[in-house]
Amino acid sequence: MSKDIQVSFTLNGKPVTYTVAPHTSLLRMLRNNYNYDVKCGCEEGDCGTCTVLVNGESMKSCITLAAQVEGANIVTTKGLTYGTDEIGHMIQRAFVECGSIQCGFCTPGMVMAAKEYIDDGGIADRKAIRKAISGNLCRCTGYVKIVDAIYRVAKDLGREVR
Amino acid sequence: MKNFAYREADSKDAILAALAELKDAYVIAGGTNVMLNILDKKVNDRTLVNLRNAKELRGIKDNGETITIGATTTISDLEHSELIAGEAKALWQAAVSFADPTTRHSATVGGNISNASPAADTATALMVLDAVVTIEKKGAKREVALTDFFKGVGKTVLAADEIVTAITFKKSHNCAFIKLGLRNAMAISVANVAVNLVKQGDVVKDIKIAMGSVAPTVRRCAEVEKALLGKKLEDAVIAEAVKGLDKDISPIDDIRATGKYRKQVAPVLVTRAIYAACGCKDGGAK
Ligand SMILES: Cc1cc2nc3c(=O)[nH]c(=O)nc-3n(C[C@H](O)[C@H](O)[C@H](O)COP(=O)(O)OP(=O)(O)OC[C@H]3O[C@@H](n4cnc5c(N)ncnc54)[C@H](O)[C@@H]3O)c2cc1C
Ligand code: FES
Ligand code: FES
Repeated sequence: MSKDIQVSFTLNGKPVTYTVAPHTSLLRMLRNNYNYDVKCGCEEGDCGTCTVLVNGESMKSCITLAAQVEGANIVTTKGLTYGTDEIGHMIQRAFVECGSIQCGFCTPGMVMAAKEYIDDGGIADRKAIRKAISGNLCRCTGYVKIVDAIYRVAKDLGREVR
Repeated sequence: MKNFAYREADSKDAILAALAELKDAYVIAGGTNVMLNILDKKVNDRTLVNLRNAKELRGIKDNGETITIGATTTISDLEHSELIAGEAKALWQAAVSFADPTTRHSATVGGNISNASPAADTATALMVLDAVVTIEKKGAKREVALTDFFKGVGKTVLAADEIVTAITFKKSHNCAFIKLGLRNAMAISVANVAVNLVKQGDVVKDIKIAMGSVAPTVRRCAEVEKALLGKKLEDAVIAEAVKGLDKDISPIDDIRATGKYRKQVAPVLVTRAIYAACGCKDGGAK
């Protein structure tokens, strides 16, 4: 039997310490501690719904070892709420208004990928947006409305290509 | 019952010391293969040794004629490096077609070659750039050509107390990498190819061709290389030379494609990559 270890990091701005078995994934550590905003889909790195930001970079939490995020700054969709994260709020509003959500299962991962794209200075360019969300699968929307939403956010931020 | 321990190590020396001491060490870099192995119960009873926090293992260095990358340099680091894009285009093309942007933040070059998948994209590109792998254990260091590094599917020359610390390769302005996947992103190669070509006038002075996913390991295509050396690069010459692939590759059926299909596409991919490497025609698969 494994001996549990403790992992301390910042989750959506708050310091947390969780106790886990050494082989636990970041996804399981988060969900075992009631952070159900992070979804589990395939649990093998393919679907992207479990995507979170680790020190500003998107990572699939199901294939990230929890122990390796010691000291990291982690953001999930809960950290993008109105009032705390303006960009995160714009993205979520655009998803709602563009009809980018059907069953909603891919949405948390899509929003995190979009957040990284916009934070990194992403422009209103459909091809670049498609690439940015290429690690995320959606079985409902056909992707067009998701791309529309991210395009709109970039446009609203004045990042149109002329 | 899963049974693991975890060892933090914040420097190369600390990692090598841990490997010398532990009997059950299993190093983890990005974890994109390791985590799946744990989830699929392919490994157990191991101490996971973290490679990610040893800063000296990550980075890209220009040595003039060659480039050295640290083992935990991520695929994303390669993708965003102007040096790689300009001086080792084949490796850059392997990086931008690797998985997806999110997975590229985690996946490392050292992990890609040490995992020794026949489909490892960076291995194919590195092989035509004459890559040499630096392998270290506590108190010792050796260098192995990438062509001698792989021993079979998932097998390398690495001993249990050794890790890859760096990879050094030659710069090239005449190289290309092409990947054939089943979709544009997040696809493991059905087959991949890299070519590095030096011409003198119209004549091939030096050529290196490597393929992945068509044999138990990524490998050089010596027959095709031999057939092109000293020849004028013309359609007919290339068409004749790629027949040598029959001897160079031994593809099998798997979940992504049949061996027969791989045999059929291999000559096409090699031909395109040769043209792409010398910039004659657009070699990119459409
Ligand atoms: C969704 C998805 C898509 C993928 N797409 C691709 C793709 O397009 N192309 C491709 O080639 N691969 C792909 N892979 C496979 C994988 O991402 C790569 O092989 C990756 O480069 C592994 O690096 P890592 O740092 O994550 O390795 P890890 O999982 O940390 O380690 C892999 C193996 O190497 C060992 N190891 C790691 N670093 C070292 C070192 N420095 N010295 C010695 N041993 C070491 C580990 O012990 C382990 O056995 C994909 C995987 C996933 C989940
Ligand atoms: S649950 Fe992590 S990628 Fe699908
Ligand atoms: S909305 Fe259903 S998977 Fe994307």
